[in-house]
Amino acid sequence: MKRMKRFWLVGMILGGLIGLAATAAPVPGTWDQPAASLADAIAEILGPGQARLTMRNLSTIPTDQIPAIRRLLEQDLKSHGVLASGAESANTIRVTLSENLRERLWVAEVIEGNETRVAMVHVAPGVARQAQAGSGLTLRKQTLFTTGDEVLAVLETPDALVVVEPEQIAINAHGAGGWQLLKKVGIGQTTPLARDPRGVILTSADGSSFEAYVAGSRCGGVSQPAGEWAVHCHENDDPWPILQSINAENSPALKAFYNAARNYFTGVVTPSLGVDLPPFYSAALFLRAGGATLLIGGIDGKVQIVSNGKLKSIAGTRDWGGDFAVLDSGCGAGTQIVASGSGEATADSLRAYDLPGQEAIPASAPLAMDGTVTALWPPPDGKSLFAVVRGAAGRYEVNRVTASCD
Amino acid sequence: MPIAARTHPHYGGTLRVEIQGDAWSLNAARNSSLVRGLIFNGLTRIGADGSVQPALAVRWTSENNDHRWQFWLRPGVHFSDGTALTSSAVESSLTGSCGAACPWTAVHAVGSSVVFTTDSPMPNLPALLAGDDFLIVRAGSINSASGSVLGPFIGTGAFQSDGLSNAILTLVANDSCWEGRPFLDKIEIEGHKLIHDQWLDLSVGRADLVEVPAEELRHARQQHLAVVQSPPVELLALAVADAGTLANPNLRAAIALAVDRSALSNVIFQKQGEITASLLPSALTGYSFLFPAERDVNKARELRGGLTPPTLTLRAEGSATMQLAAQRIALNLREAGFNVQVAANGSRQHADLILPHETLSSSDPRAALESLLRAVGVATPAIDQTPAGLYKAEHDFLETHTLIPLLYLPRAYAIGARVRDLHLSADGVPLLAAASLEDAP
Repeated sequence: MKRMKRFWLVGMILGGLIGLAATAAPVPGTWDQPAASLADAIAEILGPGQARLTMRNLSTIPTDQIPAIRRLLEQDLKSHGVLASGAESANTIRVTLSENLRERLWVAEVIEGNETRVAMVHVAPGVARQAQAGSGLTLRKQTLFTTGDEVLAVLETPDALVVVEPEQIAINAHGAGGWQLLKKVGIGQTTPLARDPRGVILTSADGSSFEAYVAGSRCGGVSQPAGEWAVHCHENDDPWPILQSINAENSPALKAFYNAARNYFTGVVTPSLGVDLPPFYSAALFLRAGGATLLIGGIDGKVQIVSNGKLKSIAGTRDWGGDFAVLDSGCGAGTQIVASGSGEATADSLRAYDLPGQEAIPASAPLAMDGTVTALWPPPDGKSLFAVVRGAAGRYEVNRVTASCD
Repeated sequence: MPIAARTHPHYGGTLRVEIQGDAWSLNAARNSSLVRGLIFNGLTRIGADGSVQPALAVRWTSENNDHRWQFWLRPGVHFSDGTALTSSAVESSLTGSCGAACPWTAVHAVGSSVVFTTDSPMPNLPALLAGDDFLIVRAGSINSASGSVLGPFIGTGAFQSDGLSNAILTLVANDSCWEGRPFLDKIEIEGHKLIHDQWLDLSVGRADLVEVPAEELRHARQQHLAVVQSPPVELLALAVADAGTLANPNLRAAIALAVDRSALSNVIFQKQGEITASLLPSALTGYSFLFPAERDVNKARELRGGLTPPTLTLRAEGSATMQLAAQRIALNLREAGFNVQVAANGSRQHADLILPHETLSSSDPRAALESLLRAVGVATPAIDQTPAGLYKAEHDFLETHTLIPLLYLPRAYAIGARVRDLHLSADGVPLLAAASLEDAP
């Protein structure tokens, strides 16, 4: 018996970079380019004539899109003189819609007698982004920026996006395709940072300057003419301002000492609140009927408020993660605490809570995030939040989180 | 009463690991990655998305059509004994790691960089350097003759060895690690523990991380163990000698057709394996269906052409489960007309057929293929940078039928309730440098 041979097609035909999530609705024209590329490759092997076309789907492309892909392929083949005919044809084109972890791969096995030749087209998948609606107050997110570099904190000014990374400050400016990197300034630490590093950035009221803190260092930036920024960093062990903008005059600044060798604040704050605070990861100033109160998330997992010179535990925080911030939503009581979830990397979320007494009451449905929330803070106006999310692939995403009243 | 929330990871505590192999032997294939990856770093590493990322090298460039590569070192990095990481140290380590069998022709220190030169293009060198074989070890830690790692183990990684006592290898946090001190203070790795004993220790809180062989995954789930599992990363394959009787390519092709992968998967590995006739798993390439994995005994007999070769010896490498797999394959081959005997477990006698398992060392498909081929002693072909080029390289090698892919198996571990943020690397190794303990002080 003559052995069937399998040949490969020299050269790979690069398909278009197509963004489409597996679960998304079909987008007109989405499959045009890869279908055309695959038809080109098939026609190059087969030449004009008839062939039986079979198709199978091993990918996550929804089944209801397969007939449309087949029609596209038949049309494109026809334009090359290849007619997809019935079962009686001697030649067979066996198309498999496949995929790997990174991209879709469309493979055509062109069978002429005992000879099989293979053509491949790859199609990059996109990513679906979907905000999850809740009941009552609804949280929504908008992705501002994605990067492969670790993000500790972000500041958005009218003409710049300042990103605090573990070892540098990145200044981004508006560009045609979104934020474009303008410059990076090294922070210049002389000792390695701890794992799970943290950072803080605050702006002046007019957005013309900023102060950024990472473990053991402080950076100052001033806006210059023509969109430039002058940034200078130096070693600094001063406490970090954690609750207000750098030149707010109407409320006292609260600063906290950060443990540069670990990932938390020591519990020593200035000015003193008259109570010994435990080491904590997060702090937020929360307005309630009796006035402002400080909420802290201790490294022991307890969430407590400072009330009348005493620390009191808050119930209902079992599902909270390590980050929370206050959101001035204007809904319900006006302000809510938004806390990250306690889930693993693939299942983190944000959820708003009311805090009428000493128990946190859910005020929204969880908003699913595409990874682990690693930082959460409000911009100066407090009407939204910034959330940094580390995705499963190690990319960082900066989201703006807003609330709408239902 | 309020219940504690989940927080940022805690620093501190001791994580206890139990394994079947030798915790001390850094060269034992299966365990080496666990310990080596904690103590040492490579010039590059493979990220969770499969891309090559900077590690001890911060950037690199290639010239002369990938015949010359230059890697610039990260400044300010120190080995755990305080000595600085220099380009000379990197050159010594890389030369010692592979001796005369290095994939490059030469490596030289040039200023704060190292330069590789090769006779043939090496487009995948950055991915290759992320592999376990090329981790950077301080001079004096390597046996220059064998390339094996000797104690004391000095690297730039998150942990450093604190010695072996009562069969327990202790690793302590490297406070000056360039990536930051790890969350854990200490890791204790106890070797030579049977799976049954490991699971018992986990259940009573004497261990935090234990092994779950692929064939025990179902059992582990039935016991409600918290299991972290990798994608299929361990290739079980049949290596076929191409000498003597088996120099006849038709006989090797007949052996490939005679093996019943489904029975191996269903019976021996409890349906936890991914049947494969390709070297690379479908998740990396998307084209593995082009390599048919079905058994065809009639065609195998036909290819044998009435020849009755002398008795072939089949040897398994590894556990008792591998011995069972070998018995099963021998049965398959006998049905196709081959006389096969299975060598006793641990035997070192000559074998015509060997059942090894190789780990997929990279989630970059080209680097993974090169690494697999090197592991089985095959010179790496020039691989075109396209899926079709990759397919051709794999297809051409598999046509020789000197290595018959059978199954891809996952790696899995069971973890205790106090362990958090434990993830596995692309090749299924626990990333303990990023793990922490809930109850750390």
